Amino acid sequence: MKHKSPLAAAALVLAVLLAMLTLSACGSGTDADADTTAPAGGIALVDQTGRDVILAAPATKTVALAASDAEILYALGAGGTVVGRGEYCDWPSEVLDVPAVSSGAETNIEQIIALEPELVFMNTMAQTPEQVEQLEAAGIAVYSSDAKTIEETYSSIRDFGTLTGKEAEAEGIIETMKATFDAATADKVDGGTIYFEVSPLEWGLWAAGSGTFMNEAAELVGLTNVFADLEGYAEVSEEQVIERNPDYILTITMYYGEGLQPVEELLQRPGWETVAAIQNQAIIELPNNELSRPGPRLAEGVQALSDFVHGR
Amino acid sequence: MAGSAFRESFRPWVWAAFAVATAAAIVLCVSLGSVRVPFVDATREVWLALTGRPAGDAKVWSIVVSVRFPRVLVAGLMGAALSVCGCAMQGLLKNPLADGTTLGVSSGAGLGAIVAIVFGVQVPGLPLAGTTIMAAAFAFLSLLVILTLAYRLDRSLSSNTIILLGVIYSMFVASISSILVTFAGDKARTILFWTMGSLASTNYGNAALLAVALLAFGGVLLTKRRELNAFAVGEDNALHIGVDVKRTKLVVLICVSALTGICVSVGGTIGFVGLVTPHMVRFLVGPNHLRLMPAVIFGGAIFLMLCDLAARTLLSPRELPIGVVTSLIGAILFVNIFTAARRKGK
Amino acid sequence: MTMLEARDVTVRYGDLTLVDGVSFTVAEGEWVMVCGPNGAGKSTLVNAIAQGAPYTGDVLFEGEPLRRMKPPQVARRIGVLAQSNAALYAFTVAEVVRLGRYAHREGFFARGGGGRGGRDDGCDGGSGRNPAGRDDELVREAIERTGLAPFAQQSVLTLSGGELQRAFLAQVFAQDPRMLILDEPTNHLDLVYQKRTFELVREWLRRPGKAVLSVTHDLSLARAYGSRVLLMDRARIVSAGAPSEALSPANLEAVYGMDVHAWMRDLLEKW
Repeated sequence: MKHKSPLAAAALVLAVLLAMLTLSACGSGTDADADTTAPAGGIALVDQTGRDVILAAPATKTVALAASDAEILYALGAGGTVVGRGEYCDWPSEVLDVPAVSSGAETNIEQIIALEPELVFMNTMAQTPEQVEQLEAAGIAVYSSDAKTIEETYSSIRDFGTLTGKEAEAEGIIETMKATFDAATADKVDGGTIYFEVSPLEWGLWAAGSGTFMNEAAELVGLTNVFADLEGYAEVSEEQVIERNPDYILTITMYYGEGLQPVEELLQRPGWETVAAIQNQAIIELPNNELSRPGPRLAEGVQALSDFVHGR
Repeated sequence: MAGSAFRESFRPWVWAAFAVATAAAIVLCVSLGSVRVPFVDATREVWLALTGRPAGDAKVWSIVVSVRFPRVLVAGLMGAALSVCGCAMQGLLKNPLADGTTLGVSSGAGLGAIVAIVFGVQVPGLPLAGTTIMAAAFAFLSLLVILTLAYRLDRSLSSNTIILLGVIYSMFVASISSILVTFAGDKARTILFWTMGSLASTNYGNAALLAVALLAFGGVLLTKRRELNAFAVGEDNALHIGVDVKRTKLVVLICVSALTGICVSVGGTIGFVGLVTPHMVRFLVGPNHLRLMPAVIFGGAIFLMLCDLAARTLLSPRELPIGVVTSLIGAILFVNIFTAARRKGK
Repeated sequence: MTMLEARDVTVRYGDLTLVDGVSFTVAEGEWVMVCGPNGAGKSTLVNAIAQGAPYTGDVLFEGEPLRRMKPPQVARRIGVLAQSNAALYAFTVAEVVRLGRYAHREGFFARGGGGRGGRDDGCDGGSGRNPAGRDDELVREAIERTGLAPFAQQSVLTLSGGELQRAFLAQVFAQDPRMLILDEPTNHLDLVYQKRTFELVREWLRRPGKAVLSVTHDLSLARAYGSRVLLMDRARIVSAGAPSEALSPANLEAVYGMDVHAWMRDLLEKW
């Protein structure tokens, strides 16, 4: 993990390149509405990576590897089906009572098989095609979500509903979300810029660029993301924030129990005194992943941002 | 043969050249950055700051005086400190692959930081100091552990024992760190940032700390230049010409560890600087530590300042992790120097 | 006048006894040769005297125990030319030779760890203080004496094995010790270098107040250059005295298990 050798650095660069390749490969062929053959009375659909997902009946035992998967399942009222969760699933708090399994690169297929789920939800960002194959070989259906926009989030919520027999609930959630977003859009502010801080300055400044939910949220409430020219999440120079002088700052940094709270820390940064958001103390803190996970709570995040810019 | 043939220290003009080169690098790094600031404006604000006057242009002041200048200073001081450590270790152990991390002290410091992050260690009355102080404390503890073990195994503290123990200790500590990271959950990302090393958020306080450490420990290392020459020729030879071998080793190892630990606590693990700069500078001024050690201080400062400049500007507005830049640039320079040196028979 | 006296020197490594209660003296002007077969403990013995290995017993230099001296004090009395020296960094010949002056430096910054003894020993070649000019002079002299002047500014990495060994000989000359310890320094060198090294050492020994203690397994060299021989076998000295006495046919037969004299004569006859 320490990059003190050229080899380690080269390995890092390679790993990043490989990851990018894998991601772009997975991203293709998303919404094919193909001719899936469902067994009588069964369910068949195509997941967000273009794979067929076939179930004989709505799943009664599921494993959710990504935090957003668990959030959707619980919001649908299908939390009872969850027999296993990825270790980073933390919302709602009930999910913490479910046995945790390793996820991401450390995913332990045996651990998942032992829970005997009918269906595993996972995110293409964190999981590999090999893991999917292994699970399918064990007779477990896999749904891979790959939602990068609010629209895609609707579609995964709809799919989750279908697979767990909660279609009506899914439509309900989507309607509620849409209503919130429409209200925020109707309420649009006229201009203004915002900077989304993803990691604290101490570890190098990471910002949310375009193609992120935060960017979409900014657009919905009528703000411009100062780093919209960057794709995805990016490490940026402190100077750039000062130069781009955002009117608002939204930080999703968590407080790790040391030193100042994120907002206080922002306010005392040397050199940031000239930033409008700092001068006006226009800083909002959303530390609970409302705007980083493709799930129903995106609405809460947008609502919070909208309330904030309107001073509510 | 003229008397000057034996001259071992630099002539005044060489010192002047080093000073000018370093000053030029500072000016370059302060005037260039992610945000384009006209040279005149940048130097004016720095000048105002240095003469204790208020800002001329608030925004330029913010960018140049509050953010860029302290970072350039920290990069320079850290480059100097890491390089002087690497140089001392390469001489002491007569091993061209050694640097300040060889002893395992920086891995230890990293572990300290991770422990602080995972367990939320805080220092009462000193906000934000938990990780830094834990890193420094663990660096020191690591040194104690390694030296105690080395003494147990081999009373003469032979170079091979030190290198072997350092490697094994680093691996051991790395595995403990990995275990902690497994339990860290959401904090894992924070830890990753720590281990990557970063010069973002460095301030004048960090610069002052590094300056004091460099003056103290670097100063002591500079008094050991003749001894390092002897070690670089051969440890047995050092013994025969009357060097107090054990004492020298102890002093050098302690100073290197302290300095490396402080660097890690300020900027995380920034690799390759301590390994590569001594080689580059040795290629220019030769292996005699009377010249090499002071030259490496300037060379290391310039190297890391320029690497940081690249990290800040190459992909602007994005920033590259400093460790990646030092490794990339360092590796390329290293290969070039090595082939050139072989060709020259140096 | 006795310069060096070893009393009951014993070196152990784990359960092995490498040198077992060895006592001898070296007087001014003497060239004492330590001979014996491989594994007899010759190198271990001189290594102990040169402070490289822990030992029990006493080694006195003009009555003072070496053990109580700081490394620079020892180095001003005893210089060592080791069996082999490998170069890694491109030091110049002059730089390597100059290192020989290390133990003679004065002042806070110059004095390496532990040279606190000051000039209490009169072992600096007679000049009370030790200005840098004298260092230069001794370095230059040592380089010239060993015929290295043309290489002085050359990197040691470009030297042949023999030239490199001569650079270290020059270093130990520059060190200007009272006594020189040679640990088979010409082992891997060809005859020319061998002869040259021994001639240079003999010349050095002619100066007043010098002595040489030399380890060699080359019996002809020992006979040709030694003023006295210590024959070692299995960690002990088995005979000591003038070369012809110590290396008598009976003594050699006992140590080597063969008629060494006959073998030597046989070798010579072929010429």
